Amino acid sequence: MKVEFSEEALQQYKDILQRYPEKRAALLPTLHLAQQEFGWISREVMQYLSELMDIPVTVILDTVSFYTMFKTKPSGKYHIQVCSTLSCALRGSREIYEHLTSKLGIQAGEVTPDGKFSLVKVECLGSCGTAPVVQINDDYYEGMTPEKLDKILDELE
Amino acid sequence: MREKDATVTVIIDNQSYRVPRGYTILQAAERFDIYIPTLCSHKDLSPFGGCRLCIVEVEGMRNFPTACTTPVEEGMIIRTHTAQVQSVRKEILQLFLSEHTSSCLICDEREECKRYLGTIRKAGVTTGCRYCPKDGQCELQEVVEKLGIQEIEYPIYYRNLRVEKEDPFYDRDYNLCILCGRCVRMCQEVRLANVLAFKQRGRNTIVGPAYARTHLESGCEFCGACVSVCPTGTLYEKARKWEGVAQLEQVTTCSFCGVGCQISLQIKADRVIGGLPAEDPLVNNGQLCVKGRFCIPELVNGPWRLRHPFKKFNGLEVDISWEDAITLAAEQLSRCAPDEFGLLISSNCTTEDLYIAQKFARVAMGSNQVDSPARLFYGPALNAYLALLEKSVPLAEVREAPAILCVGLDTRYGRSVVGVELRRAMHRGARVITIHPREHNLALTAHAWIQPPPGGEGEILQFFARFTAGEESASPPETNLSSETLRQLARELKQASGVVILVGSEVLHYSASPQILAVLHRLAENLGAGVLPLPAQNNFVGSLLMGTYPELLPGGFSSANEKRLKELEKVWQTEFRPLTNGWNSGNLSAGKPLKVLYLIGEALPSGEPPAEFLIFQNIYPPDSPIRPDLTLPAAAFTEADGTFVNGEGRVQRVHRAVNPPGEALPDWEILCRIARKMGVRGFDFSDVREIHREIAALVDGFQDFDQPPRQARSLTIEGKFQIAASGSFEAKPDGKKYPYLLNAAPLEHVYRGFPLSSRVEGARVIFADEVLHMNPRDARRARLQEGDPVEVTSQYFRKVWPVKFSPELNRGIVQVTVLQNELIGLNPIPVIIRKSHV
Repeated sequence: MKVEFSEEALQQYKDILQRYPEKRAALLPTLHLAQQEFGWISREVMQYLSELMDIPVTVILDTVSFYTMFKTKPSGKYHIQVCSTLSCALRGSREIYEHLTSKLGIQAGEVTPDGKFSLVKVECLGSCGTAPVVQINDDYYEGMTPEKLDKILDELE
Repeated sequence: MREKDATVTVIIDNQSYRVPRGYTILQAAERFDIYIPTLCSHKDLSPFGGCRLCIVEVEGMRNFPTACTTPVEEGMIIRTHTAQVQSVRKEILQLFLSEHTSSCLICDEREECKRYLGTIRKAGVTTGCRYCPKDGQCELQEVVEKLGIQEIEYPIYYRNLRVEKEDPFYDRDYNLCILCGRCVRMCQEVRLANVLAFKQRGRNTIVGPAYARTHLESGCEFCGACVSVCPTGTLYEKARKWEGVAQLEQVTTCSFCGVGCQISLQIKADRVIGGLPAEDPLVNNGQLCVKGRFCIPELVNGPWRLRHPFKKFNGLEVDISWEDAITLAAEQLSRCAPDEFGLLISSNCTTEDLYIAQKFARVAMGSNQVDSPARLFYGPALNAYLALLEKSVPLAEVREAPAILCVGLDTRYGRSVVGVELRRAMHRGARVITIHPREHNLALTAHAWIQPPPGGEGEILQFFARFTAGEESASPPETNLSSETLRQLARELKQASGVVILVGSEVLHYSASPQILAVLHRLAENLGAGVLPLPAQNNFVGSLLMGTYPELLPGGFSSANEKRLKELEKVWQTEFRPLTNGWNSGNLSAGKPLKVLYLIGEALPSGEPPAEFLIFQNIYPPDSPIRPDLTLPAAAFTEADGTFVNGEGRVQRVHRAVNPPGEALPDWEILCRIARKMGVRGFDFSDVREIHREIAALVDGFQDFDQPPRQARSLTIEGKFQIAASGSFEAKPDGKKYPYLLNAAPLEHVYRGFPLSSRVEGARVIFADEVLHMNPRDARRARLQEGDPVEVTSQYFRKVWPVKFSPELNRGIVQVTVLQNELIGLNPIPVIIRKSHV
């Protein structure tokens, strides 16, 4: 499959470029855009961006591998991020994580065989007041318990 | 800015200094020899601030700024060695060492060990350990000593990474890496090659090419610039691994191609152990290619170097003294009539060797049968190539040109110095167009890559030439680019002023090359463009100027030029009338059968020995099964004085860095001795300077031997070369019957008749000579595995080569490089390919 931005994404990319003095400075927002567009940053995506932005692929890889929020593997349809920093840890994020591993049968960094769920542990999601927090795709689920989590997962298609 | 503002006054360690504005604190300190430890800064690279060792105290600034990233300001008060700064430095250095194998740095026995290392004892006694090839040249070691670190208070973390040895020329042990980023910046900022980058972060950070590719796969040019700047033992040359520190350096001219890079030979115990780029703004500007950087030691230190003269005697080879060898040569030569003698000399030899060789043939033998087989490299395109050489401009023009057209040029391994200039030109906005049938290293970076089939370059150039001559309706040939794009490129070329055209080697060997180069010449005239032919032989221009060809006399004059002959007769004090009977290295049997053929720095022709008596003068014994009657050991370019003339026409010095092995002698000296033995006058040279003086009297541009002018001069050649007929060929063979197109090229990376790939381990990997390159999909369809012997059949020949998968070739095209005297006349030629079962 040929990797290419859609018309709409290409327009967004052009808007991003407007905001920076040079192309290289626009790399981070463009990578976010690409992740939104393609789901994850594959080699093909890096190659495409390298040609699009006229930046060597090594430099793109340098950036992608430095930041943890860029996915270099495909994630599931629902990407579950469990906060494991102090507040959430004190409020039981470990149980939440273990519940998820046994329920989904995967470890952090893995994807369920049907491609529906992927699981990662992350550092502070910045919502300590409602710990423990789980982020599924772009949404926060706060004050989690294993029971609540089951209900949420069951409702996801 | 006014004069007063150009500098600022700073106080460093209670001393006041005036420093140019814009300097960093580190640069200021270095200028006045104030030591500030650093591991990541390098004079050729941008400030990085990575190692943090150069921290200093600046009055009024918070914390300790790094000296390498802080610019000086008026009135700054800087302290470089306060107790607190030193203590933080030590702490930082210990953190480095906690991740760096450091037994060589802080061993308790270090002092004692050093003292006893030199002890001469019997075998079996270990005196000191050798862990790291950089021992004694390691910057980390130096800083540890300067800061006086005795022990490490942090837990040791060994990364336990696999040592990467899979690539040619250098190994990588990232367990020793301190992440100073010098190699990354070198690759990205200076070479603009972008092969290396940091990957991952935190303690997982590692330097390497994208993904998990090897350097070979990632387009690395093996220029070795990263190896040169590595402050630790992480990157080290395979060939130089345990050679230790060089004792001497000698700047000389590299002899592996016509670019003529200045190279600093590293010498230890009368051996060349390495080559580093010399700071030379005229030619290579501190850069080298893989050949000059890595190939010299293995080539000149090979165990099979000829050390003594020997002769063939009753089927055996017998060592003889120089005296006997000279006598034997003189005897054999004395019985030759002028046209029974032939001399072939490599254009890798120095100008002085070349001059003496042609003088020897013409004066001592009275013969005009002297030739440089470099002419065979250019084949039928030789005259067209010489016409381009006459239009030659200096390489520096690439730095100014708004548009650059490259034809048949691949700068990955050979001429990578030119590649760096091209990438720099692109960075400053020049348009670069490359025409090449194969995916090559310019294909990725150039603005446009036009991909014709092999031999189809002419049609594209023809289109450009017609378009730029005003025929804008000309229709472009079919290529990978649309006709609109080609028109646009032609328009760009036409509108730019000061275009430069670079001619690589991969457009010289087609049957159609004479026409292709002629069109190129016309295009250059239409555009008013400068041309940079990049000869493959380091002293090709020198050989033309010295007249080591039947058609040419010294100075580039035709051998039919009566006036010139008169002048030469006066200088040489002899009577000489050159006979041109069509004899040359491509046509050794044109005249009478040869009694003696004298080969200097050239491979033996294949097949039957072409003369009754063969004299072979070189640095290695011949690769061919033929045994010469007399073998004379010669000096390599690292072992002799002289000059080379590069492709731009610059006369550059070659310096004797070490002594030749055994009894080997420089070529000119052997020739002079033989001439004297024969009782010929005019060969009483005791020194290369005297030869140079004689050349200077005859040829413009040669003056001071010790300080050659080094100006680029374009060449003037009188008359035309006789081109050896390449045999008669019928019309193009049927493409249906012969489905593949074979593109055969002469081996380019040759020194004195020996392919570098036959003498240098790494060169074998990167050059892959005498191997059939084939698109992997084609190869799989033909049920071939990499390395399988393949039978290649055309209407005219049948050959067998091992196959190598090369994705850079288009389907339907196969390519091979062979020794120049094994070339096939028609090129490219349709062939059949099948697996050989022999």
